[in-house]
Amino acid sequence: MSEPVNAPFTAFIGGMVEEKSEGRVRLSLATGPQHADAIGNVHTGALTTIMDSVIGIALGTLRGERGTYRPHATIEMSTSFYAHATPGDEIDAEGRVTQLSERVAFGEVEARRRSDGALLAKARLTFAIPAARP
Amino acid sequence: MTQPAEDMNPSPFVQLIGAKMESWSAGLMRMSLVMEEKHMNPNGVSHGGVLTTLMDEVAGAAVGLVRGLDTMQGAPHATVEMNTSFMSGPRVGDEIVIEGRALKVGRSVAFAEAEVRRSGRDDLVAKGRFTYVIVEPRSV
Repeated sequence: MSEPVNAPFTAFIGGMVEEKSEGRVRLSLATGPQHADAIGNVHTGALTTIMDSVIGIALGTLRGERGTYRPHATIEMSTSFYAHATPGDEIDAEGRVTQLSERVAFGEVEARRRSDGALLAKARLTFAIPAARP
Repeated sequence: MTQPAEDMNPSPFVQLIGAKMESWSAGLMRMSLVMEEKHMNPNGVSHGGVLTTLMDEVAGAAVGLVRGLDTMQGAPHATVEMNTSFMSGPRVGDEIVIEGRALKVGRSVAFAEAEVRRSGRDDLVAKGRFTYVIVEPRSV
């Protein structure tokens, strides 16, 4: 499977859904000059965008309909960057939901360069889930 | 003194997003963005990736303003850690202001923070802390 991401911003920058199963998702991004930062590497924000969407979509696979009327939202994201990507690189971001409870959820995601598997970035995310209306 | 940022261009990715430089001074950089449909999540609020991108851009630029353009081109700084909190979600039509501030610029490491607010409002949209490593200049 390879289809555009549902989230308008992730689709706008070119993010594609490659694999999706219960609580686990892989997205890809074919980077180009439009994703460059001030010094010509791929902008960190291009990586954090697809990494954030990985966990958002992975949570959607577990929450189903509830994800629509009580949408989860990122409240914390901590990211470490190990190596930079160069425009032209294909990037894969793969992650999973580590815990899902009534009001909060956690996920972990890694971004790698496809050509050599180099680890580019790793992130931990926390999502809030709105309370059910009485 | 704060100067208008006419002579400074955002990075290509930030230009793709559509944010504008507002002003800058030593160790401080401000940008703005009017939120459009393309910046959203399916739930109708801003995608976190828009905010992390713009916060890193202004925080990195604030560090660059302390280091100076020539120094930076010889030995650029690269983001190694980013910690971001998202407090509220801007919607289509909201204008956000993103401000970055250098906290400490050393010889090998630099620290900065960034905040996002809606124009004309005090409540925080997002806050980020950033750590940069200054890349060794390439030996000739």
